[in-house]
Amino acid sequence: MAVGELAQFGAGIAIGFGAIGAGLGIGLATKGLMEGISRQPEIAGKAIGYFLVGAALAEACAIYAFIIALKLSGMIG
Amino acid sequence: MEHWVVQIGNITVNMDTLITMWAAMLFLIVFAFISTRNLSIIPNKLQAVCESVLGFFWDLTDSMIGKDEGRKHIPLVASLFLFIVTANLMGQLPLRLIEIKHGELASPTNDINMTAAMAIIVLIYYVGAGLKKKKFKFFLHSFNPIDIIVFFVEILEMFTRPLTLALRLFGNIMAGEIFIGAMLGITAYFLPIPVMFFEVLVAFIQALVFTMLTTVYISSAVQEEH
Repeated sequence: MAVGELAQFGAGIAIGFGAIGAGLGIGLATKGLMEGISRQPEIAGKAIGYFLVGAALAEACAIYAFIIALKLSGMIG
Repeated sequence: MEHWVVQIGNITVNMDTLITMWAAMLFLIVFAFISTRNLSIIPNKLQAVCESVLGFFWDLTDSMIGKDEGRKHIPLVASLFLFIVTANLMGQLPLRLIEIKHGELASPTNDINMTAAMAIIVLIYYVGAGLKKKKFKFFLHSFNPIDIIVFFVEILEMFTRPLTLALRLFGNIMAGEIFIGAMLGITAYFLPIPVMFFEVLVAFIQALVFTMLTTVYISSAVQEEH
């Protein structure tokens, strides 16, 4: 296999493993949100704001993997 | 992502980023100028909107930094948020219709240079604020072994914090644009529309995350106990 093809392979692995972590993180955050809201429905509006920020932070880890994947597959720089 | 590159001496300038950045800045400056004419005690609609936006920033810094200290940092925090929101939302406009020499116009925040510049501004600002508030104690509270380890961690954070700030914003916005492009490429004409709604949401959330992290960094730099 040529180096370029192996790089494509690595890009797939990178984004796949990156997505595992981000998925787990967002899942846990949603779990916490649901538990919090079912226990105390009146905080829903405020909790969703914090949830979105936390979910964005978790998702950013997948985005880092995505940048590495793009770099490996030669789409940027 | 191809950019329209212009060489000025030794400096490489990405003209498309520069154009959209100036457009965002121009929009904000004109908006701020118009909305601060004819201020009155009984606000008109525009003034009411701006006051509620300012109230949002006051709440943010009051809750994170503290009432007396926090209001000093409103100018940086608020202008970062407003600029990033404007810049991110520009990506959803049909800017591709405007022909330029090379590449195409998109959000200025999908250029790593732009986000890195903002992250470095945040770094300089919070180190400066910490030094101004605590003088030399900002780095080293006292000479014992634990504090010396904390000192090195602090130095390490100075590299990781701007790096993650820059990469997070850049990655999210660029991933969004590639995502929309991919949806447009593989499916029917109207399928990208829900994705674009999601990207509008992402634009606000990422601006909020950037601003909140900035506030947290400033707060950790200026607070006495940490």
